[in-house]
Amino acid sequence: MAGAIQDLTSIRSRTRPRRATEESALVRWTLISISFLFFAAFLLLPLVAVFAEAFRRGAALYFKTFTDPVTLDAIKLTLFTSAIAVPCNTVFGVAAAWAITRFQFRGREFFSTLIDLPLWVSPVIGGLIYVLLFGSQGLLGPWLIAHHWKIIYSTPGIVIATVFVTFPFVARGLIPLMQAQGIAEEEAALTLGAKGWQVFWRVTLPKIKWGLLYGIILCNARAMGEFGAVSVVSGHIRGLTNTVPLQIEILYNEYSFAAAFALASLLSLLALATLGLKTYIEWRARQQLEQSQH
Amino acid sequence: MSIRIEDLSKKFEGQAAVQNATIEVGTGKLVALLGPSGSGKTTLLRLIAGLEFPDAGRVFFHGEEVTQKSAYERRAGFVFQHYALFQHLSVFDNIAFGLEVRPRATRPPKAEIRERVHCLLKLVQLEAFAKRFPAQLSGGQRQRVALARALAIEPRVLLLDEPFGALDAKVRKELRAWLRRFHDETHITSLFVTHDQEEAFEVADEVVILNHGFIQQTGTPGVVQSAPANAFVQDFLGLDFQI
Repeated sequence: MAGAIQDLTSIRSRTRPRRATEESALVRWTLISISFLFFAAFLLLPLVAVFAEAFRRGAALYFKTFTDPVTLDAIKLTLFTSAIAVPCNTVFGVAAAWAITRFQFRGREFFSTLIDLPLWVSPVIGGLIYVLLFGSQGLLGPWLIAHHWKIIYSTPGIVIATVFVTFPFVARGLIPLMQAQGIAEEEAALTLGAKGWQVFWRVTLPKIKWGLLYGIILCNARAMGEFGAVSVVSGHIRGLTNTVPLQIEILYNEYSFAAAFALASLLSLLALATLGLKTYIEWRARQQLEQSQH
Repeated sequence: MSIRIEDLSKKFEGQAAVQNATIEVGTGKLVALLGPSGSGKTTLLRLIAGLEFPDAGRVFFHGEEVTQKSAYERRAGFVFQHYALFQHLSVFDNIAFGLEVRPRATRPPKAEIRERVHCLLKLVQLEAFAKRFPAQLSGGQRQRVALARALAIEPRVLLLDEPFGALDAKVRKELRAWLRRFHDETHITSLFVTHDQEEAFEVADEVVILNHGFIQQTGTPGVVQSAPANAFVQDFLGLDFQI
């Protein structure tokens, strides 16, 4: 009898002791399984399917897709749009974060909420508002026509719509970070004789750099992948106003499945790269936080 | 370089933090602002530093009015309670900061900056730590770096906000004595905030006692202890009832 009890206790001490606040093993594994199944079904499988379809007709056809001039134009337009939208929203995001976390003014909370507007609004609306504003029947339509400026169904419209939908990312990455960091170091810099810009460049920027980078890569991922808003303003003019997401839709509707999926695999690679970078940045940010809290 | 404040008042969201404060700190003196939490002493110090602007009243450094000047114009060295060291910069770069941000015209050459920083490191006895980062230092060491950093700009006055408040008792006592010795050597006009009366009496030439934003009494430690101005002072200092 004593021997049996001894055996039992030795078995139990060999398995991992349960932490006081942890659920039982059954609950834990159930939750983990459900999460993983969900992840596999909705994220992993589609990703694998994209690459499987892209290479269905062989690697040669896959790479040939990227030599098509219309496809290349789409890629160029996507890159161009991001190259404008991301820096714009970075500058705006930093300015907005600074204003919200460092100043006191009437309507501060409202402004902070307003920044998130593009996230709640349907992307289609994001495109429609600019058609209503700049389209030939729009508010500023006649004025633009008179000055020979084309915004809708042209590159400027696409850029503007992309700027709108990617508005909040940088600001949202920075605001909680800057609020948590406080202003002690910046005040110290002021007492040492640093002026506004110097304080920002030498003290604030190094502190927020990971949060800023995080916001920028999210902004970029969204800018390159945006469909709804851009679709409304672009006019889908082949070779001129098609971005990569739009071009994918066209190829698919023309039954060029392999080509469509080949292009889609490009966006998937972007998504994976973004995920990788994001994870790296989060790791570095955690390191930085741990170091400063010794 | 004396400090004089006249009738300084400051409200935060309707609550008066400092009311009609008038103080004179003579050149080369070390004065303590003493009072319980919420008495307005930190606000008063920040008003003098230029980190807050008063609602009323004036601030003078050696006769020159600085009320409208912002913090970076006043050249008042400030030491924060929680050090506020630049985490991403080494000890050397922290101390050199005030010199590096000077406009090109008044910025000393690199060699001179290096020499000044090393001089200051020697003064605060941290010569071996030049390349370390704030996270690698103890509390007492960090505070000494903060002091060296404030001194690097050759400030007109030195303002310290509960400089030893975040340190443990033993270190606090050591640094207290060190600060007094340091002041005797450098004779820089200094004003420091504390809620610890033992600290105030041990270190300062003069003590200013505050409560609810009002100055209750000003005087040397001896005078304040032997002749408290009112019931609050008597109570706060724990003095026996004297008729």
